[in-house]
Amino acid sequence: MVNRIKELRAKHGFSQLELAQKVGVRRETIVFLEKGKYNPSLNLAHEIAKVFNLTIEEIFIF
Amino acid sequence: MRAGPDVRQDDRAGRTNIGPQKLADLLEIPNFVLAISNIYPMKRTIIIFVIAALVLISAAIWLLESQFTGNFQEIVMVIILFLVLGFAIFVGVQRLKSSNRNESPEDELSKKIMTKTSSLSYYISLYLWLALAYFSDKMEWETHTIINAGILGMAIIFLFSWIGVKLFGLRNG
Repeated sequence: MVNRIKELRAKHGFSQLELAQKVGVRRETIVFLEKGKYNPSLNLAHEIAKVFNLTIEEIFIF
Repeated sequence: MRAGPDVRQDDRAGRTNIGPQKLADLLEIPNFVLAISNIYPMKRTIIIFVIAALVLISAAIWLLESQFTGNFQEIVMVIILFLVLGFAIFVGVQRLKSSNRNESPEDELSKKIMTKTSSLSYYISLYLWLALAYFSDKMEWETHTIINAGILGMAIIFLFSWIGVKLFGLRNG
């Protein structure tokens, strides 16, 4: 699974820490997600999609 | 009974209207509760530091009592002990840094990393104990030496499993 978190984060001008605080996780989790080293839970994927105002399918590509 | 200047009785609704000063006084209790709730997420960090301190004190007592001779086996044990302590302090400091950045000290990733590390290290440790059982017959080790080697080996396996999980990440499938 690949994701567009890094691209979308840059587009919205968020730092990793800011995005982490918005979705309620640690910065390390965002680092792992961007590197593709971790597949998030459905809950976290939903929170990230809400921040970027997109659907889960538009961010996480299976 | 007549209410004070800062507390007014609302006759129609039977409720008490509280003035700003009284409200500020009442907020002292929620502030105290808030302070306790801020300590609660730090509980595990405090436990990590307390355990590390206890291990350090125990190691110091053991070194003083056992008349440290400095042979190879003792030096290896001390190095492993300090590695494990260093790891505990590192984890504690990371949690403190997270706390300072207003992050939760634990989230879904950190919990999964610890779960994966624990299961992986347990699985590998089974082979360690099997190897120790085999070599203890061959080398005629004393029981306490086997137990020491097993416990310290498990600690090292846990440390390397944690590093491995951090390096390679957690992917489903």
